[in-house]
Amino acid sequence: MHTRRQFILRGAKLVAAGAAGAAATAAGPTVFVRGSAAADKTLKVLQWAHFVPAYDKWFDPWAKDWGSKRGVEVTVDHVGFADVVPRATAEVAAQSGHDIHMFIGLASAFEEHVIDLKDVSGALEKKYGKPVDLAHRSTYNAFTKKQFALSDMWVPDPGNYHKKVWTDIGMPNGPVTYEDLVKAAPEIKKVAPQMQIPIGVGLSQDIDSNMAVRNMLWCHGGSIQDKDGNVVLNSPETLKALEYAKRLYSVGMTQAVLSWNAASNNQAFNAQETAYILNSISAYRTAQDNKLPVLENYFFVPALKGPTGIQLASEHVMSGYVVWKFSKSQDIAKEFLVALVDASRESMLASKLYNFPSFYGAAADPNTPLNKKVESGAAWIAKQCNADPFGSQPGDKLSLLSKALPWSTNLGYPGFANPAEGEIFDTYVITDMFAKAATGALSPKDALNEASNRCKEIFGKWRKKGMVAGSSKDR
Amino acid sequence: MNRADIAPARPRAAAVETLSRRDRRLGKILLAPALAYIFLLVAIPFLLAVFLSLTNSSAGSLDFSFVGLQNFRNVMASPVFLRALRNTFVFTLVSQFLVIVLGNILARALMKPFRGKLLVRFLILLPWAAPISLATLGWLWIFDSTFSVINWLLKVAGWLGPGQWYYWLGDPVLGMVAIITVHVWRMLPFSTVILLAGLTSIPKEVHEAADIDGAGSIAKTFQITLPMMLPILTVAVLFGVVFTFTDMSVVYLLTRGGPYNSTHVLASLAFQDGVLGGDVGRGASVAIFLVPLLLVMAVVMLRISRRAEVV
Repeated sequence: MHTRRQFILRGAKLVAAGAAGAAATAAGPTVFVRGSAAADKTLKVLQWAHFVPAYDKWFDPWAKDWGSKRGVEVTVDHVGFADVVPRATAEVAAQSGHDIHMFIGLASAFEEHVIDLKDVSGALEKKYGKPVDLAHRSTYNAFTKKQFALSDMWVPDPGNYHKKVWTDIGMPNGPVTYEDLVKAAPEIKKVAPQMQIPIGVGLSQDIDSNMAVRNMLWCHGGSIQDKDGNVVLNSPETLKALEYAKRLYSVGMTQAVLSWNAASNNQAFNAQETAYILNSISAYRTAQDNKLPVLENYFFVPALKGPTGIQLASEHVMSGYVVWKFSKSQDIAKEFLVALVDASRESMLASKLYNFPSFYGAAADPNTPLNKKVESGAAWIAKQCNADPFGSQPGDKLSLLSKALPWSTNLGYPGFANPAEGEIFDTYVITDMFAKAATGALSPKDALNEASNRCKEIFGKWRKKGMVAGSSKDR
Repeated sequence: MNRADIAPARPRAAAVETLSRRDRRLGKILLAPALAYIFLLVAIPFLLAVFLSLTNSSAGSLDFSFVGLQNFRNVMASPVFLRALRNTFVFTLVSQFLVIVLGNILARALMKPFRGKLLVRFLILLPWAAPISLATLGWLWIFDSTFSVINWLLKVAGWLGPGQWYYWLGDPVLGMVAIITVHVWRMLPFSTVILLAGLTSIPKEVHEAADIDGAGSIAKTFQITLPMMLPILTVAVLFGVVFTFTDMSVVYLLTRGGPYNSTHVLASLAFQDGVLGGDVGRGASVAIFLVPLLLVMAVVMLRISRRAEVV
């Protein structure tokens, strides 16, 4: 084993640092938050541009206040969600950049270059109780025993349905099972022929589709890996999920869903061109902000059940804050992350109930005993969802979100998140498998074989690096 | 000849020599920034890419092991790679053919005097000046699968009946059509300007002499215009081919390689595998796969160009 450091670091540092610097300049609006003229400590945070822009308007001044109280000069850079991973890659290559880097998916591929946040996580657990399980599974590598990231929030991913259309076909409360979508699609075509895509489940190379197809896979009993990290994609259950996708596509979808980007399903639903999508509430907030005609018919349903009875949906966003090993402000960064979790209530409200705390206990009423904090936090969260302070009509329109935890899970289910799952996610192996099977580009069996081989190749590579478990029971 | 006659000649020769030496030194100084630029930003990254393609390097790590040609073997076995390889050739050849043909037509039209010529020239150059990300966002809406302006116009014109719709970015073939369209739109101004310069550099007397000899327009095109434009045409094609072979921006911004990885070219696939997927070794092997071919192509075309210049 060699290290690239030995070979290229000197040269690469110069080139990559220049490139990273240029990229940083071009990354987007930079908020230089100066605590005081005398600030002698600095903290640089790379943060996504939130899907609900109101959140960033809260976060940046909040970071300023936090820094100014401690004599820390805080810099916050925002990048689009698609640039989060490329920026991390550039900073690792340059071994310089920000101190804290926020991922909205899996940060596990960068595990080697981040510090272990076990102490931060442990301190927060002592303060607020355990985090939600899916946050733990997304930020902890059970194989290497490293807490590589810290999650302050996650986002539920409910179904969004058009109330009038579904009422007209006799299902006023929307779909409950995946089979309902197949039954409803032809009826939607009859009652709403103007809608281009009766069922808008994405099958494209984007993050929403990546989650949607995993939901379908899990609810039919399939998964990429088992709980021990063995690759088990090649299964009768996966085949059933692919055959289901083919049926659904033929009755309720068009080729449009093969080309969608992360905003397309929002736009299609808000333009009333589809009657069902899988999305967080960001599209709904956009409809509210712009007073769109769809608003009165904009309603939500929980994750759908598969033929197995399994009802699961991937989290829509899972924050994963890492602190780079090259950071010279690691202790300040840790303090910042603790403060961010402390501000879970403000964070949820600033995001208009988009963010859900990863530590429910951090949203508890003041002075609640530790053993009651999770419960108290859950009650506060439910209270917000049951009477949306941001103008939903009726006020309890979002109440199902407070009950989302049992049907929400992490990427990598039923196992932990790991770099192999991350690479499969980022290179769209599963969406492509579903898209090929659904459109007939390949038979379900061939699409499955192709994807399974690629998954095994990716898992094998990461196992050789000693970062992923399993292999003895690969299928 | 006495010494007095010779004496002044020496300083003159020395002065000429010094001037020549100075010229050479000045030449080196003027060339140095370009060489440094090429060395730092082209040669080093290229050598690094070759090096990384032989390793199992990943984005989140500075450690690696040498794996020989394993990355190349893996990608050769991948249907996505083979599709991207095919797309790269289709994308390059079709778009370059269209760029050269359309560029010729435009250049010839622009040689004729007509009212508003300056405005037309400005409009033709506009796509070249527009940032590609901004321009592609515009095209993204034009080709959007749900809200395509083209489709709505066709619908209004009665071309598309009820239930008929073109899913420009959701169909592998239409996706490639969209990508090639945007790329041709983007490259056309440059090609037009180059060809226009070539056409205007042909002396009028040559055409007049051909006219006197009774040559028709086809004979003039193939025996005068094309041979005399060959050097500049070669440069335009070479630049276009190399640029198109290595460009990922249109593909990435328009389809991101979809649907189901069917519209990737090698450059966009390399980005997806190497940067987004974190498999730097695999990404590097995809990225440099065509380097030998491009190298041969460049040498051949430059030789053709040089020969044409001599003629």
